[in-house]
Amino acid sequence: MNLILSDQPLHFLTSLPSDTVVYDLSQQTIHPCVGCFGCWTKTPGKCVIRDDAPNIYPKIAASERILYISHIWCGGFDTPMKTLMERSIPVQQAFIRIHQGETHHVQRAVVPKEAIILAYGADTQEEQTLFKRLVERNAKNMSFSSWKIHFLSPDTLQEAILEEVSQWNHS
Amino acid sequence: MESLLIINGSPRAPRSNSKRYIELFTQSFTGSYDQLQALNYSKSTVNVDDYSDILLVFPLYADSIPTPLMTFLKIMSQSPKTRQPTIHVLINCGFLEPEQNIIAVEMLQFYAKQFGFSFGSVLMVGSGEAILNTPFSFLVKRRIRKLAASIQTHNPLCQSVTMPLPKSIFLSASTKYWLTMGAKHGQTKETMSTMSIEKE
Ligand SMILES: Cc1cc2nc3c(=O)[nH]c(=O)nc-3n(C[C@H](O)[C@H](O)[C@H](O)COP(=O)(O)O)c2cc1C
Repeated sequence: MNLILSDQPLHFLTSLPSDTVVYDLSQQTIHPCVGCFGCWTKTPGKCVIRDDAPNIYPKIAASERILYISHIWCGGFDTPMKTLMERSIPVQQAFIRIHQGETHHVQRAVVPKEAIILAYGADTQEEQTLFKRLVERNAKNMSFSSWKIHFLSPDTLQEAILEEVSQWNHS
Repeated sequence: MESLLIINGSPRAPRSNSKRYIELFTQSFTGSYDQLQALNYSKSTVNVDDYSDILLVFPLYADSIPTPLMTFLKIMSQSPKTRQPTIHVLINCGFLEPEQNIIAVEMLQFYAKQFGFSFGSVLMVGSGEAILNTPFSFLVKRRIRKLAASIQTHNPLCQSVTMPLPKSIFLSASTKYWLTMGAKHGQTKETMSTMSIEKE
């Protein structure tokens, strides 16, 4: 399965590759994580907050390829994408393992995935470098087997999204 | 006037480890200070310009800054300033390695530069969910005392601390901890290890 997670509407995406699901986070209701760990200790694998996030994180887990479209703030994903990432910890178990020499959580049924990140709003080399290092860390917790980051300006974003998705039609 | 604003940036501030770290900090800090939960900021009337120093105390969330603290920081970046307050950081993460916090700290250094703050001291805590409940809590307390002194004397200091345990021992201790937490809700190792996500 392919997944597109975007922090803005993608009305221009009129045809999608098969087995592709799109979420425009600006149209979803996703409350911030409250740090209760209920998804590990009370209802394992399920968040106790029943808003739109429980529809999305199972799809994140099941996807072999995810396209993230996000504004960057201070070298990190801006609030809409970050809120979803925080709400996605039900895909992990409470239990810890050693992964790439560090302690990390055991994953539930999470497919290793290719992540493509179209990042806009990070205009300086310094912020882009910081973001790359963040994604390298995220990869360990979010089962990225590979990742690509493209830094874009808002006016080149649409073209880059269309280009990326058109490649999927051929792969 | 010198004064410190302490922000609890935890999404579960009232019941957080960050709250406990703040309690330890205020036991050592002899200057004047105010406290605020990032969660409540929009409702409060705090003026950042009243403070010479700001201490951000928060957990690592998805390798970076938790969203309620991001929201607070965005509001703070817009607030009018006549001076350049110094931002200090006391961050804790669940994993053993305190270095896992580095990116979040660098994001705050970037923030400080971007929005006209100075940057001061840092304390990164690994095994932050557990360490205060173990015999190693003295290690954290010692570093927190140094953090308080460094803020008061304007001598920036970067420190890190964790439980001095082999990873394998940390793993088994943390498994035990989470099993106890699950048992409170009638969960077992098997149910907590489910591979299912959102399925019955
Ligand atoms: C949504 C979520 C994401 C987290 N992400 C991380 C992480 O990336 N790395 C880590 O070491 N710990 C992570 N943790 C664990 C917290 O940092 C840890 O439990 C901390 O002690 C919580 O502090 P608090 O009680 O002050 O909120 C996460 C916890 C939650 C709930």
